[in-house]
Amino acid sequence: MTGDPGSDVAISTTGLTKYYGRFLAVDGLDLEVRTGDVYGFLGANGSGKTTTVRMLLGLVLPTSGTARVLGRPMPGSGRDVLPEVGSMIEAPAAYPQLSGRANLSLFDAMGRGSRRRGRAGRVDDALDRVGLGGVDDRPVRAYSLGMRQRLGLANALIRRPRLLVLDEPTNGLDPQGIRDIRALLLELNVAGTTVFVSSHLLLEIEQMCTRVGVLDRGRLVLQEHLDDLRAPTGRVVLRTRDVADARRLLDSRIDEADGDRIVVRRADPAALAAELVRAGIGIDELVAERRSLEEIVLAATSAGSDTFARPDRPASGVVA
Amino acid sequence: MIGVELRKLLRSRRTWATILLVDALPTLVGVLLAVTDLGPRPGEGPAFLSAVLTDGTLFPLAALAIVLPLFLPIAVAITAGEAVAGEASAGTLRYVLVRPVSRLRFLVAKLVAVVVFVVLTVLVVAATAYVLGLVLLGDESVTATGATSVSGSSLSTPELVARTFLALGYAILCMLGVASIALFLSTAVQSSLGAALGTMAVFVGSAVLLTLDASDAIRDFLPTRYWLAFVDLFRDPILWTDLRSGVLLQVAYVAVFFTAAWANFATKDIAD
Amino acid sequence: MLAVAAIPVVPRLLPVDDTDVSAAELLAGVQGSADVGHSGYAETEGAVQLPVGDDLGDVGELLAGTTRLRVWWQDADAWRVDRLLLSGEVDLVHDGPVTVAYDYEDAQAVVTEDPVLRLPRASDLLPPTLARTALEDASPDDVSRIDPRRVAGIDAPGIRYEPSSDRTTVERVDVWVDPGSGLPLRIEVRASGPDASGSPDVVSAFEEVEVERPGDDRVGFQPAAGVDVDRARTLDIADAAGRYAPFLVPPTLAGLDRRSDDAAAAGVYGAGVTRFIAVPLRGREADPLREQLRAAPDATLGRRRTVVADGALTVLLTGSAGDDRAAWLVAGTVTPEVLEEAARALLELDFVDRDGDR
Repeated sequence: MTGDPGSDVAISTTGLTKYYGRFLAVDGLDLEVRTGDVYGFLGANGSGKTTTVRMLLGLVLPTSGTARVLGRPMPGSGRDVLPEVGSMIEAPAAYPQLSGRANLSLFDAMGRGSRRRGRAGRVDDALDRVGLGGVDDRPVRAYSLGMRQRLGLANALIRRPRLLVLDEPTNGLDPQGIRDIRALLLELNVAGTTVFVSSHLLLEIEQMCTRVGVLDRGRLVLQEHLDDLRAPTGRVVLRTRDVADARRLLDSRIDEADGDRIVVRRADPAALAAELVRAGIGIDELVAERRSLEEIVLAATSAGSDTFARPDRPASGVVA
Repeated sequence: MIGVELRKLLRSRRTWATILLVDALPTLVGVLLAVTDLGPRPGEGPAFLSAVLTDGTLFPLAALAIVLPLFLPIAVAITAGEAVAGEASAGTLRYVLVRPVSRLRFLVAKLVAVVVFVVLTVLVVAATAYVLGLVLLGDESVTATGATSVSGSSLSTPELVARTFLALGYAILCMLGVASIALFLSTAVQSSLGAALGTMAVFVGSAVLLTLDASDAIRDFLPTRYWLAFVDLFRDPILWTDLRSGVLLQVAYVAVFFTAAWANFATKDIAD
Repeated sequence: MLAVAAIPVVPRLLPVDDTDVSAAELLAGVQGSADVGHSGYAETEGAVQLPVGDDLGDVGELLAGTTRLRVWWQDADAWRVDRLLLSGEVDLVHDGPVTVAYDYEDAQAVVTEDPVLRLPRASDLLPPTLARTALEDASPDDVSRIDPRRVAGIDAPGIRYEPSSDRTTVERVDVWVDPGSGLPLRIEVRASGPDASGSPDVVSAFEEVEVERPGDDRVGFQPAAGVDVDRARTLDIADAAGRYAPFLVPPTLAGLDRRSDDAAAAGVYGAGVTRFIAVPLRGREADPLREQLRAAPDATLGRRRTVVADGALTVLLTGSAGDDRAAWLVAGTVTPEVLEEAARALLELDFVDRDGDR
């Protein structure tokens, strides 16, 4: 959008590392978020997502490695970078004794370059965007979890940032709320805002993001375009009532068979459909197989980092 | 940022509740004095209190002497102890810092807000006491006869007013010392209660040490050493010795602890 | 914390200049300093624990603990001494023959004629007054030079007086003097005994001083409208007893001469550091005092007398509880033997009729 150096990269880190005492929270992270991305930052609780977000925003100082946000180094250039970044970190927070509107106008008045002019308009605008436009003057203390979440988002949006860094943005929202927020973020993205969403909810990321990074115990184990990750695997999944006939027909090409579900190796769905019809086998469902994000993530990560199993006995029930 | 802090301070119900609580004690004392007409025996009780039964207009000073040793510092310790630790535990600290607000500016704004709080408290206490003194207590008005200095000579009303304001200023400076200790602790510990209690421990400890002959070697460095030196402003002529030492000591405390607070806060990981 | 600690320390670290003035010259300066005008702020520190309560005015308070004094001194006839309290003050304003004692917390000023005889009061503890008293009868042979010391910003040469008399309890007196005027700036008094080389019994020193005659507005007393001004005929218990008790004290006691020759029932004997006061007390005055003295840890208790000695000060009270005859209070910086000898002589005294009535 502007002529900043490296303006096609919104966030990049090299070897970003953070130790808390002797505990390694983030380990040599190389993130790359491009301008225009809706980037999903996935990881189990405790995998280092929040620490990473805090390092990007200058709240936590890295032990080693560098981070650049909007083309400039963090935390060194925080005073120039942060005004263009809207953020929600871990949970929304506000001064409980004040109304939502008063909170927004306080936060808007903080920091360099805050202008009094147009503040009321900006506040109303941000509230409208998150669906709190009609809220009364009750103090935030009396807000529901969902309202607080919306207020937190409004706070992130009030300065019309170029980059949104959101940590668990749909936490505490009902399904309708989640849809509203998703639609809002996509709308903002279309208008040019880069969105960086960290979450432990696979579905949320899958429905919204263009690129994902997966964090496991402080290390980035995967960073890809979602489309690439979910490209067809080359296998076709068939559901049929005529299981015995289908097995006989496809025999050597079957990878897996489980009840009425048959997975066929190296197949073109159209050709397979024609073949089955010719053989008079009824098709209930026939699709090219795509891996779900869940499968991809589980394949890439080790046991959840809130499990602390003994090393010689991997926790059962978790696919390693 | 200072403006924002002041708005927060003035719009907080707790600010006013604290001020009212601080104000309640001298008010109660004033009412009791007026009702019972029993002044403290000379030489006992807070400074100036024995004089208010004859001269009600001295009550603001007596009220100040009542709240200064304990109530006011506790209120300051609580307010300043909350400054960083309170925002951190409420989660708002991180949103303030990513606004962005520089950490130094944040600390300065907090300190200024505490000063305003102290000024406000002192003014409310003084104003209440003035009205109370005028209405309930002795009516031997200063404006007609002149007040009596501690040295027995008379002070004209302008002199009395000027010295009262100097005393208020001195008290505020002393509270600034308390505030900077609390601010430092507030950057160092997790809970605002811990910071407030730690600060109280410092000045209660200091007050205890001051009563011991054994602590002679360090007494001139104790934070509460010169707190009551504002009485010296009402001697004739003013005795500047302790006031000067008190100002220097408090300035040093503010400088040292504010610097420590900043050094600690500037590189602190905001992880909550 | 270093910055805090450094502020008052730095000036003390500078080296102190000495002069080659002789001890005898300094002594003469001290003895003749009564009319050296000055003003300042002094603190005295007494380590004499005397269980006398309020019966002897401020004496007990003055000798134990810290006393903060402000002084404006034109000459021996016109001065003002303020004893500073935490939330008030007690002032003495001396003008020719009268002294005004003002107490802020009582909002009262009491005017009295200066008596011949009285108990010690705050002004007696000022470094110059105390030094003149102690060195009153010192001869040049008894004094020697000691290291100079910076007192209230003045590089003050020092002298040490070691009394030759074996009747005093004072081992030595160190005085530091303003070299220009002879004004004593700091005095330390040490009692003889096991810890004679330890910390002094009494220290009195200026923290701030200006050796210049203060203006008249500083030494006068113009009470504010709210101050009660009363006149009193007697100043303290010693003054009252001296004037009205039915005795006449002898011109000499225990070999020490009385300091005045008027007819009185009480007297001060001796000179310099070898001096004591003898005062007759009525039974109801003596009983509570005796009670307190007997509670002192190292009191010598007898049926006829109670003796307490602490540091430089010795106190003797004759008689026993319930005895409604007059009791003699004899106290001073002399050994218990001297006081006992004086007390024996005092108990021999006959009643006399005095002109004054009580």
